[in-house]
Amino acid sequence: MPFRASAAFTVIAALISTLLALSGCSNESEPVQNKIVVLTFNMPHYKDGFSRWVAEFHKLHPDIEVEQIDRKGSNWGAFYHTQVISGTAPDIIDTQGGAWLQYASQGGLLDLTPFLEKDAEFTANFYPELLQSWIYEGQNYGIPLYFTKTLLFYNKLMFQEAGITSPPNSFDQLMEYAYKMTKGEKSGFMTLNFDWLYWPLFAMNGIDLVTPDLRHAAFNTPKAIALIERLAKATKDGAISNISWTGRWVEPNSMFAAGQIGMLQAHSTALLWMLSNTSWINENTIGFAQMPGNWSTPNAHALHISADSKYPQAAWDFIKIATSGEGAYSLGISLNNLTGDRFVNEKILDYFSQTKPIVVPLLRTQQEHLNTLVGNWPLANDAEIKEALYPELQSALLNHKSAADALSRAEKKVNHILSRDDRTAQSQSSVSGGQ
Amino acid sequence: MTVKFGIGNKRLRESTLIWFLLFPSLAVFLLYRILPLAWNGVLSLQFWSMYKPPRFAGLYHYKELFLYDDVFRQSLWNTLLFMVGSPIGIALGLMIALLVNRPIFGRNIYRTIIFMSFPVMTVATGVIWLWLFSEKTGLINYFLMYIGLIDHSQPFLEDFNLALPSIVLVSIWQVVGLYMIIILTGLQNIPPSIYQAAKIDGANSWQQFWLITFPLLRPSIFLCLIIGIINSFNAFDLVYVMTGGGPGHATELLITYIYKTAFTLARFDYAAAITVINFSLFLALTWLVNRMSGGNAGAVETN
Repeated sequence: MPFRASAAFTVIAALISTLLALSGCSNESEPVQNKIVVLTFNMPHYKDGFSRWVAEFHKLHPDIEVEQIDRKGSNWGAFYHTQVISGTAPDIIDTQGGAWLQYASQGGLLDLTPFLEKDAEFTANFYPELLQSWIYEGQNYGIPLYFTKTLLFYNKLMFQEAGITSPPNSFDQLMEYAYKMTKGEKSGFMTLNFDWLYWPLFAMNGIDLVTPDLRHAAFNTPKAIALIERLAKATKDGAISNISWTGRWVEPNSMFAAGQIGMLQAHSTALLWMLSNTSWINENTIGFAQMPGNWSTPNAHALHISADSKYPQAAWDFIKIATSGEGAYSLGISLNNLTGDRFVNEKILDYFSQTKPIVVPLLRTQQEHLNTLVGNWPLANDAEIKEALYPELQSALLNHKSAADALSRAEKKVNHILSRDDRTAQSQSSVSGGQ
Repeated sequence: MTVKFGIGNKRLRESTLIWFLLFPSLAVFLLYRILPLAWNGVLSLQFWSMYKPPRFAGLYHYKELFLYDDVFRQSLWNTLLFMVGSPIGIALGLMIALLVNRPIFGRNIYRTIIFMSFPVMTVATGVIWLWLFSEKTGLINYFLMYIGLIDHSQPFLEDFNLALPSIVLVSIWQVVGLYMIIILTGLQNIPPSIYQAAKIDGANSWQQFWLITFPLLRPSIFLCLIIGIINSFNAFDLVYVMTGGGPGHATELLITYIYKTAFTLARFDYAAAITVINFSLFLALTWLVNRMSGGNAGAVETN
């Protein structure tokens, strides 16, 4: 009898604990509501501005709720991918760099070309070169939200000390100046390296990443080998700080802000970061110019609509609010950045000339030479190619292996990715075609 | 006959009870471990995109792994090298355990201090050591230059040859306290009478260690080895915080490569293939170590 009682108790306890254990698996039933979800990229400080976008949106769609999910850059991708896999892709996503290409090439994004054609007045406000950056296989998948591009910052005090009077206008001069300013712990040049930010150095030496048909690697050339050998030697000699090839954002900018670096190739926003981290930086101590040949890498953000959004028209209306007029203006002044809308940018520049004059000439450089942007190739597997190429370059630049060996290995990897793209695309299209 | 039936019935009841009690844990284990693992195996044999229906790929991803992917080979090699750190850590843990097992003054304080590195969050450990290893401002460079071992600062985490050993060192530092505690428990379970008998037989300290202590510590040491293997397969956070797998792929482990492939490159099918290799290797090594320990690594003798 005691056994029966304790067994019954145990069985009940086991059932309860099973239910508790499994309760994590069940979905809570939620009331059905009309809602669009917007996944933003590292904009935690823009809550109020986002609320204003939503308020505007509700004037058009009072019955549709808007939910913002914000993720830091480092975990944005992982979050978005898991959302897509679980069948809950956000209606609107804010992407940085070339990540969108993979999504567009796999059919995850909505073609916005018909919307752009329909809203010709809205479309006309954008820089054509920027709109062009979001075209994949003839279809436009993104609307520019805000953008920056790389510049050459230089330490005027170090220039003066080395007897340099103006920024370099060729790669040879860039190297010459770098050596001139190198002394002790100080290095003459540094670059950021992620997201193709180092590619202007290659572009100004006439090196292409891929062939014009985007099917083969084009960078394994004698010119590229010579360039890498030269950069590696300068790194070994200390003329280029080795942080150029290992650091991300904070380390290089911090070194420049510490007065240890003569020239820094970085996004325009680096200046604002440095201004907020040090007191000696001002118009008299820091200058900025376009890189030789006016080459630069954009760091652009755009808004996209997921292909399976239930409310594509509402999502489009939201995007229009965020990327033009007052919506874009409030974002621009909040982020200290220009937007894709040319007319809004004039207002933003007016605002900064009143409030933060130091950034006005800086922001003006961002509107120039948009025809010499690099690092924005419409390659479906941009991220994979980046991952295949950079570690090899890094090995050579840090003198761990020869430039010829590194480029040869990188070429093999990139060609493999490009050829695999063809094969997997074919297999995928045969699946889609068969359905 | 009636008695036999009664016993059988009792056994059935007991067995039912045991299964009822085990069921919640088994259900969770099945849902969150076995099914994902099986799904992972299936995924590794498919072309799978986030947005399109999957298609059978056969061994395509495995072929790519072994024929084309030198990063995979390097990650595998690095993971094995990382594992080599375990015996070093265990040897260190054994030495410390032997020391703090002796009746020395303040031994409880020493034990606590040495164990303290283990509960520290790995991310915090990574950040702390990142600064310690810093080329420009790191204490390690300062100290090594101060004692004259090096004449200029070393970029420990940016150097292709030093980065992995540096991370292995941190990993050993973090886990050595746990090894010490496990071995200390093993040491304290050895009956003192065995040592007394050995002394009477004329065994010196070295002989006592090799003939008594070490063999009797075998289950504890093999448990440490298994923990070391798990650690080398799970050292994601340490590598991610300290080097992100770089420079190049010099500190890339299988686990960081899986993460990058899946979540940075969104190649979940390919990442699944690497995971299958990772899991198979892990299983094989664990089985091997358990066999070497006599099949009872970490077991507690109850009689």
